[in-house]
Amino acid sequence: MVSPVRAELRKLLGLPTARVALVLGTLLAPVVVLLNAPYNRRALAAGTLSDPTQLGLRELGVGLIGALVLGVVVVSSEYTSTGDDAPGARQLTATLTAVPHRLRLLAAKTVALVLVVAAQAAVTAAGTLALTQALHGEYVPLPAPERVAAAILYWVLTALLAYAITLITRTGIVPLTLLILNSTVVSVSYLLTKLTDLAAYLPDIAGAHMFLRTDGFPVELAPVTAGLVMTAWVITLLAVGAVLFHRRDA
Amino acid sequence: MNTARAELRKLLTLPSLRWTAVLTWAGTALLAYAYGVTQPRGDAAGLAPLGYAQAGFLVLGVLTAAAEYQAGGQIRTTLIAMPRRLPLQGAKDLTLAAVTLPVAAATAAISTLPAGGGTWTPAATAYLTLTTLLAAAVTGIVRQALPGVVLLLGLYFIAGPLLRARYGAVAAYLPDTAALDPARGAAATITWTLAALVLAAVTFARRDAAQG
Repeated sequence: MVSPVRAELRKLLGLPTARVALVLGTLLAPVVVLLNAPYNRRALAAGTLSDPTQLGLRELGVGLIGALVLGVVVVSSEYTSTGDDAPGARQLTATLTAVPHRLRLLAAKTVALVLVVAAQAAVTAAGTLALTQALHGEYVPLPAPERVAAAILYWVLTALLAYAITLITRTGIVPLTLLILNSTVVSVSYLLTKLTDLAAYLPDIAGAHMFLRTDGFPVELAPVTAGLVMTAWVITLLAVGAVLFHRRDA
Repeated sequence: MNTARAELRKLLTLPSLRWTAVLTWAGTALLAYAYGVTQPRGDAAGLAPLGYAQAGFLVLGVLTAAAEYQAGGQIRTTLIAMPRRLPLQGAKDLTLAAVTLPVAAATAAISTLPAGGGTWTPAATAYLTLTTLLAAAVTGIVRQALPGVVLLLGLYFIAGPLLRARYGAVAAYLPDTAALDPARGAAATITWTLAALVLAAVTFARRDAAQG
């Protein structure tokens, strides 16, 4: 099991898109904290910022695009053709020659992705929260360790969500469009919560409740429940993706 | 004329474009319904779904431009048939605009008419068509679908809202302000699109066509 994981890690970290996603995804949140610093300082001093205790955790969200891209390219790179002169050849053929047991391959890919995204999330969270402390320490207390852990878990689960959808669609365009559209300020899922209370159980809305509290929501999920809801989504989609990957012609 | 007809056929036979159009319509209808239930009728409610629906048009532009550079190097065949690059690029832009226009008009109608904001339908149609051309131009420079989608959606849906929220004055200069506030952002949309089209045409005319 160790050598397929090592191989998948090398493949993932060798992709130019993945490298850009790693660097940008890690830097984005701290840069936003810096850019927002003058505004936040004024709002904190005036006491107009809503729930300042969550400031650092809230600003983490922008970096999530890096985790999304990582989750997508770990699959989609297998399906892009290797070159103009052999348009039918895909990397997946070589991968399956090396590791013919498909579910084992999938397990190795999943482990590699989880390791990379968890490391990225940990670095980003540490950097963003440290920066928030340095800039606004007098107003913003350091969040509890379990909330930071939940934020890291949210990154990993989001990357796995993108990964599972890409396993089903085999193209990165669909999951990226869906998930980037949903990470905008007023997300589609948020709009749906105004339509039906059930939307509170969508993966991104539920997942964010693991470490953030928002007022005015129809259904307020407790952090652990929220985590279980998002995990259930990820496991369901991963199971569908795994069955398809196992049965479909590669 | 032959070039335009050939480009038109290529566009109309791409299955991914048809899927994008159908999904965009479905998503717009769902959002229009959601806004219809939760917000009072009016121009703002009519334009709001378009803020999201434009994602479909960005993808449309990306897929169109990236199709030529996919595996198999269709661009080589295209250039053997039509070696003059600037007229070719012009034909591509015109056919894409012609194909997008009805899709955009339908989307704009789905979004604005139920909310009683019908006066904005033509403006919204023009905006969505220009956005598609902008996305195609940017992807013509990037030459790959996935980076194109991440770049454009990241700018439109993550960077744009952040900038607007903190520096309100910058809104008039962003290409996507016109989606929600047509009177304010129209000039920026037109300028950005034209600049991207010119840049894409110059790049296309001068760069090695088959180089990834």
